Amino acid sequence: MSQKDPFAFFKIPRKMPTILPVTVRVLAHHEIYGSYDQEAAGEQSARCLDCGNPYCEWKCPVHNRIPEWLKLVEEGKIFEAADLSYSTNPLPEICGRVCPQDRLCEGACTLNIGPNMSAVSIGAVEKYISDTAIAQGWRPNMAGVIKIGKRVAIVGAGPAGLSCADGLIRGGAEVTVFDRQPEIGGLLTFGIPGFKLEKSVVQQRRSLLEEMGVRFQLGVEIDAGAFAALYQEYDAVYLALGTYTAKQQLGIDTASAGVYPALDYLVRNAYDLLAIKTAEPAIDLRGLRVVVLGGGDTAMDCNRTAVRQGAAKVTCAYRRDEQAMPGSRREVANAKEEGVQFQFNVQPMGLQYQDGKLVGVQVLETRLGLPDQRGRRSAEVIPGSERVIAADAVLVAFGFDPSPPDWLAQHGIALHSDGRVQVHSERFSTSAVGIYAGGDMVRGSDLVVTAVFEGREAAKAILAELTAASKPSDIQQAA
Amino acid sequence: MQDSSENTTEHAGAGLYQSRFEHDACGFGMFVQLDDQPQRRLVDAALEALNRLTHRGAIAPDGLTGDGCGILLRKPKAYLRALALESAIALGERFASGLVFVDPNNPAPALAALTACLHSEGLTAVDFREVPTDHSAIGAQAKLSVPAVRQLYVSAPASMLEERFERALFIARRKAELALAADNYFYVVSLSQHSFGYKGMVMPSALKLFFPDLQRPDLAASAVLFHQRFSTNTLPQWRLAHPFRVLAHNGEINSIEGNRSWMRARGAILQSPVLDFRALQPVVSMHGSDSQSLDNMLEALLLGGLDLLCAIRILLPPAWRDDETLSDDARAFYEYFSLPMEPWDGPAGLVMLDQRFAACCLDRNGLRPARWLLTRDRVLAVASEAGVFDVPARDIIKKGRLGPSEMLAVDFRSGELLNSLAIDSINAARAPFGKWLREGVKNVISDLVDPNLAAEPFPNQLLAQFQRTFGLTREERDSVLKVLAEAEVEATGSMGDDTPMAVLSHKPRSLYDYFRQAFAQVTNPPIDSLREHGVMSLVTPLGAEGNVFELDAKHARMVVLNSPILSQRKLRQLVLMPELVGPAQKGYGLLDLYYAPELGLQAAIKNLCVQAEALVQGGVVLLLLSDRYPKPGLLPVHALMATGAIHAHLIAAGLRCQCNLLVETGSARDSHHFACLIGFGATAVYPYLAYQTLYALKAAHAIHASVGDERQLGRSYRRGIRKGLLKIIAKMGISTIDSYRGAQLFEIVGLQTEVVNLCFPHTVSRVGGADFAMLQADQAKLSAEALPSAPGVSNINQQLDAGGLLKFVQGGEYHAYNPDVINTLQEAVRSGDYAIYQRYAEHVDSRSPAMLRDLLAIKPMRAPISIDEVEPEAMLLKRFDSAGMSLGALSPEAHEALAIAMNRLGARSNSGEGGEDPARYGTEKSSKIKQVASGRFGVTAEYLINAEVLQIKIAQGAKPGEGGQLPGHKVDALIARLRFAKPGIGLISPPPHHDIYSIEDLAQLIFDLKEINPAALVSVKLVSHAGVGTIAAGVAKCYADLITISGYDGGTGASPLSSIKYAGTPWELGLAETQQTLRRNGLRGRVRVQTDGGLKTGLDVLKAAALGAESFGFGTAPMVALGCKYLRICHLNNCATGIATQHPQLRKQFFTGLPEMVENYFRFIVRDVRERMAALGIRSIEELVGRTDLLAQTAGQTPKQRGLDLSPLLSEAGLIEASRSCVRPDNPPHDQAELAKRMLADTQLAIEQKLGGTFSYTVQNHNRSLGARLSGAIARKHGNYGMRDAPITLKLRGSAGQSLGVWNAGGLHIELEGEANDYVGKGMADGKIVVYPPADAGFIARDAAIIGNTCLYGATGGELYAAGLAGERFAVRNSGATAVVEGVGAHCCEYMTGGVVLVLGRTGLNFGAGFTGGFAYVLDVERDFVDRYNHELIDITRVSPESLENHVQHLDRLIGAHIKATGSAWAKTIAADFRAYLPKFWLVKPNAASLQSLIETLKRAA
Repeated sequence: MSQKDPFAFFKIPRKMPTILPVTVRVLAHHEIYGSYDQEAAGEQSARCLDCGNPYCEWKCPVHNRIPEWLKLVEEGKIFEAADLSYSTNPLPEICGRVCPQDRLCEGACTLNIGPNMSAVSIGAVEKYISDTAIAQGWRPNMAGVIKIGKRVAIVGAGPAGLSCADGLIRGGAEVTVFDRQPEIGGLLTFGIPGFKLEKSVVQQRRSLLEEMGVRFQLGVEIDAGAFAALYQEYDAVYLALGTYTAKQQLGIDTASAGVYPALDYLVRNAYDLLAIKTAEPAIDLRGLRVVVLGGGDTAMDCNRTAVRQGAAKVTCAYRRDEQAMPGSRREVANAKEEGVQFQFNVQPMGLQYQDGKLVGVQVLETRLGLPDQRGRRSAEVIPGSERVIAADAVLVAFGFDPSPPDWLAQHGIALHSDGRVQVHSERFSTSAVGIYAGGDMVRGSDLVVTAVFEGREAAKAILAELTAASKPSDIQQAA
Repeated sequence: MQDSSENTTEHAGAGLYQSRFEHDACGFGMFVQLDDQPQRRLVDAALEALNRLTHRGAIAPDGLTGDGCGILLRKPKAYLRALALESAIALGERFASGLVFVDPNNPAPALAALTACLHSEGLTAVDFREVPTDHSAIGAQAKLSVPAVRQLYVSAPASMLEERFERALFIARRKAELALAADNYFYVVSLSQHSFGYKGMVMPSALKLFFPDLQRPDLAASAVLFHQRFSTNTLPQWRLAHPFRVLAHNGEINSIEGNRSWMRARGAILQSPVLDFRALQPVVSMHGSDSQSLDNMLEALLLGGLDLLCAIRILLPPAWRDDETLSDDARAFYEYFSLPMEPWDGPAGLVMLDQRFAACCLDRNGLRPARWLLTRDRVLAVASEAGVFDVPARDIIKKGRLGPSEMLAVDFRSGELLNSLAIDSINAARAPFGKWLREGVKNVISDLVDPNLAAEPFPNQLLAQFQRTFGLTREERDSVLKVLAEAEVEATGSMGDDTPMAVLSHKPRSLYDYFRQAFAQVTNPPIDSLREHGVMSLVTPLGAEGNVFELDAKHARMVVLNSPILSQRKLRQLVLMPELVGPAQKGYGLLDLYYAPELGLQAAIKNLCVQAEALVQGGVVLLLLSDRYPKPGLLPVHALMATGAIHAHLIAAGLRCQCNLLVETGSARDSHHFACLIGFGATAVYPYLAYQTLYALKAAHAIHASVGDERQLGRSYRRGIRKGLLKIIAKMGISTIDSYRGAQLFEIVGLQTEVVNLCFPHTVSRVGGADFAMLQADQAKLSAEALPSAPGVSNINQQLDAGGLLKFVQGGEYHAYNPDVINTLQEAVRSGDYAIYQRYAEHVDSRSPAMLRDLLAIKPMRAPISIDEVEPEAMLLKRFDSAGMSLGALSPEAHEALAIAMNRLGARSNSGEGGEDPARYGTEKSSKIKQVASGRFGVTAEYLINAEVLQIKIAQGAKPGEGGQLPGHKVDALIARLRFAKPGIGLISPPPHHDIYSIEDLAQLIFDLKEINPAALVSVKLVSHAGVGTIAAGVAKCYADLITISGYDGGTGASPLSSIKYAGTPWELGLAETQQTLRRNGLRGRVRVQTDGGLKTGLDVLKAAALGAESFGFGTAPMVALGCKYLRICHLNNCATGIATQHPQLRKQFFTGLPEMVENYFRFIVRDVRERMAALGIRSIEELVGRTDLLAQTAGQTPKQRGLDLSPLLSEAGLIEASRSCVRPDNPPHDQAELAKRMLADTQLAIEQKLGGTFSYTVQNHNRSLGARLSGAIARKHGNYGMRDAPITLKLRGSAGQSLGVWNAGGLHIELEGEANDYVGKGMADGKIVVYPPADAGFIARDAAIIGNTCLYGATGGELYAAGLAGERFAVRNSGATAVVEGVGAHCCEYMTGGVVLVLGRTGLNFGAGFTGGFAYVLDVERDFVDRYNHELIDITRVSPESLENHVQHLDRLIGAHIKATGSAWAKTIAADFRAYLPKFWLVKPNAASLQSLIETLKRAA
């Protein structure tokens, strides 16, 4: 056996795949990261210590078998690695690209304890595994699937819906996924910019799922009537509608001129890039001074999209300090590299107009107050610290609230007070028989990988109930 | 020796103690007049010898009750007649006599029954003389059970021949024993025409006071056996004193359970032409002590017609298979008798007496000492120690010691003294054994390459189904199976097993996980199977067993396997062999293990038993138990349950010896699995699923042979398993698989009585657990999930499970040190925030029950009190120790941080087994606890005096029965210097302490430690296992001050995986048993008890206290506080937290630990403890210790947890002692060491002022550890080497006791005219020891033993010159001393890492095993050294003047020094003709060392 060098982790430095130089990458919306070659992937994988406590796996929301597949990559066993990767994550090539690994697996990595001892580059390897295996002809193994003669409708082709579809099809159900957009992916396609996740990657996943037997009905708005029909027609329905209602803040009215909700901005840009004709054209920020409000991943996506559109200046204003930013550190770093200016500890208070034209955002400086119950320190404004940040356009990325359609109530689906759907914590069932839900609409907006996890678990639960119902008696339990 | 109870389920309501856990050890010997001339002086000498061996026995807390002693006399006819005459008993020519113990209140029924039994055998009980006894000579405890003593005279009709008479006596006695089984007093001490015994629970000095008859001048005998007992327990019995009817035994039969069962199984066929044993079953007592059973066995063989020379050699054969020095005929004799009788295995020194012979012999490993001498007037004296028989040196014509398996016998018929060689010749000539074997034995050749692993490989899907059915995970496949096949050894792991016991788990666990391997600790030694490989054997004979009493060629017809692990090819060969499956045997019997679930597991197993019985009744010899052919809807009976049940059933049916159990199973994969199957009776095992899995890995190119050829992965796997199996049996001190088979050397944790009784009868199982229904449900779940696909189940589930038993895996088994626990603990100690500690404690304390303590809740003692009423923090901190972790395993930074933290807290850190840098002595970096472990690394006088506590690590929780390991890459220059080892060479400590082969040896080591550092407390660390309480009682009687009971979950730097997983039990069991046994014996007040193993929070501490611990050891948790992330890579030296590594960069860049973090941790614990105490109304730990009444069992969460019954842990039944905790500051030894004290007083000034000087003393064998007090005083004042230039010389005359010059420091020179016992120069750091015989000695010095066993063990420097022979294991673990002796026993220079040894004469076998440093010269006059050294690591070169000029000069200098020191006549002869002797010298060196490097060493030394 190849006796691996136990000191590889610090003899070999952490190395990410090549990254496009800033000057080139800001010219278009393509993915900025390259891929490992086999040698680099093997070498980087070999840095894994194979800890007694795999903190990476523990931290990962889907609990990817990370040390195991790193070892397989090291040994050059890409198909085995892909099988294993896929066994916990139905969308590994996507998570490999969009997960904030620095907060999850790589952040928890034992080696992530100092500048010279950086974490194993888990995300890049995850991406390498799927990309390489699929390019070499690997396909999800559908052997041994027994049809159960049950049909499930999934509403929403975002990560939760796709993940659930994958699980259901492998368990022998018939699956149809409905989405109002003309492409699958939900936010994967329309929210996350191409420089993080190339649109072709999602399209590739679509064809894989279709090969497995998943049917998609796209561009279909599910209204009350349509839903009632689905509910009639299918044995179960899984709702994964996401959260699309932009959070509001006093003084920042997104209806005002020059102010755009982040998602509108990103979606319209995506349509543009996918050459999908819509009523509303892309919002073009070329030559403008842009201020992005917020500090999460969506804010970064806005920042960097604006840079690519040729904005004159992009400023990101966040009310806490840099440490407290909720998004991926990597994305913040990328944004900085691409020229985004950050202003921390500023609370937007209002908009300043001159001649009906937006000219700036009024802000107050903040300082960190006492920690709240969850240990997070709140931002307190400092009286008298008002100032204005010049702006021709403002993108608002304060996050999203659920957007529950009216027909949920018609079917007796109970909601939390904030609009999230109530489900049973293990069965993912709503208060309506045969209707399940998951993803952001249940949890509130969260990571892609969290939605993947919920979709995967919901599929298991739905299968269990569908098959249990079809069994003649309680033989299982008696045995 | 173990006492055993008939009843294995005696636990109900009676706590954890079981009488069968008792052990003992002893001093023993015999004096024999070769011409059979009865002499009174021999009796006097024996009584005096017992007296001088008092230190080898033990004394009860009453100070007067001994554990038992006695003598056995040969034919004291005149005396017996005189007694008869005085009592007016008329005797005929032919009579027998013996003592009988009877009920003092009602002796009549027993006497009547015995009389009747004698009568029915045609004998007459002439009279029962009342034997005078003086009860003032015995202690209070002995009085409680003292019997009345009668002397029975029996006469026989004149027509009855002598031998017939003897057998009739035996039959009558046996029948009386059966008839009077319920009479606890009735016991026949001896009853024979040839011998007469006295024994009792008395101190040696009191024997003749208790029996005034012994003082009669007319008591004369031509042979006297004597024995003094040390029982671990203070409830010994009168009947269990030695000698028994034929023998006295010093040692322990480790395989006793197996030997007893096999004898039970043979009951039905045990017939001699002269005696039918069938009506006398059981011939071998199933309870009592192992020695008693051995005595029964030997007596039966003798009465059945074998003579003593033959019988004892059958029971205790030498390691004949690999002994090149044995003749072919002798080997054939041993092989022939190995077929019908497995060895009675374990340490043994035996003295025996029958009508024709008096004899003495040792076990195959020479694990007990026996010294002998022969006087001019033809008296042979043998004893545990030299110096117990007073005879002037000029009257001694020969002197020696018995080596491994050596035997001496006196043939009274001829008056000859027979040695081993002569005995072998006599035995070999009994029959043409060699010819019979050549014709009868068929060896199955195993080394044929089996290129396919599996002739019919499973398709992938089927394979996966099998794997899932039998619970094989990816983890096991990759971490266990693959490593075995690739590297031919078990994988190494680190850290402890932090998973729950199987019964507590929420997952279905392998049945094997319920079985914990037995291991030897204290009362018997494990064997070093690596370095003493020659005594080990896995050879397995197949076929119906023959009758030991019939010498017949037909009994040599056997098929012999070299190991019980079968390949597919071998199994197929076996089931076709006409010898096994011919028409006479009606083929082989297939027992299919699949059953219909509705039948139920229990019924299915019973069916199998019935089937097996029918098959064997029908003549079948091979039974094949198989789970290889699954059937839809059916479940497999676990192979282990089937094997155990069938084995037990066939024994009960008297059929087991007529057949062999082959097991074809998917369940067996690692060495523990095989050990379980064989330990419960399997003859051989075919692990098909292991092979199929390896085959699939090979097909997927996922495995590559790193040894040999990939086609031979199966063979490599078997080799790996064989090594593991040897390790497991060696761990219990067993050397042959024959003795292990059926010996049931396991403790079961978590099975219900119904399962134990049916499948594993007589195996210890104390807390209940899973029943048949639960086990069936587990298998049903596995089998259902194993189906290739199921509707509605994702096909991803068809993959193997990830596993999670070794490492944490999400969704797998619970791990106590999981990421949540580690992360919160680290966050807490880094921030110092108690709120975060509480989150950590919440993770631990509110886990789903994972440890036994999680099922115990503490009840309040009182209403809540203010925290100010609870004892202060500082008091509590004193109760905390860090567990021993060596510098070497840990980096210096981590080791020091821990020491600093513990010192600052006022707690104690433990150095572990790796020395300590002298620069740390006297600073806050010094560890207050210094550990003494089997490797003795860095243990010097100075090390030992720099301690408050000296801890003898008998066993370690992670790997009890094995030594510590330090891989070579962790041995850097610093570590090598501190351990006196070579950089880069890995260190594996021996499994045994070579100076602790029995309980009295431990007493000696404790005495040694108290002599060198009288101010220190001595602690003994044991690992929890059934019987540990009894061992702890023994340890308390050895005068230990502290006892630590470790749980199975202790950590380790490196250990084979199966050791981490399968040995040791939870500390809750061991601690509770210890507490109960100590209190049962009135010993608790003498000794402090500590526990360690996975303690994490304040709640753990309180529960441990309630179960009986008054102090607490923490190992892993403080490491985690320092930054350990539980990576389990300690053995790789690449620890990415810089803790368990010696790599300079990792230590520098990655280690972020600070003493403050550890301090924070302990302060958190104390706060947690105090807050809880306040809430529970407890003021101090003292109040809580042992208050099991405050613990209550809580409801478990799973059916198995609910099946547990922890009431035995909480029981107070039979605990006579009021104190629940230690009430004395220390536990001072009985031996006041008066002479040593005088020596210290005499030399005090000379030491203080560094004056030197010469002092003379006369010494005796009971003056032990001489020199140690002086060395301690010297080291304290001047260090190890500071007094070199002003030496004190002790001139001694006589026989020195054990441990002469132990831990000798520089500046102490000891010159002894006379002889010394074991352990001379043990742990010597510097100085000089010289031993030579008196000038007028009547014997030839170079042929006579002059020093005992295990001399220079762990020496790091100094010089030793002895003009005579040394015993076994001379210079074992020597790492720096220079020594000259004139001959040595076996295993000389074992595991030596430095120093020089010159042997001017013959060596024993296995010279230089594990020898990696230093060198030796051996004079090989007989030219057979090549057969006597261990070829693995050393090479030998002739010392020629041309190429080795430096060595020639060095050798010459050494011989000169020896002459100067000892005046050796033999050395002078050699020196006088040096050129002629020179070519006969070998230079022995590690093969890794170049000659050049040795020369450099010489030059440096010169």
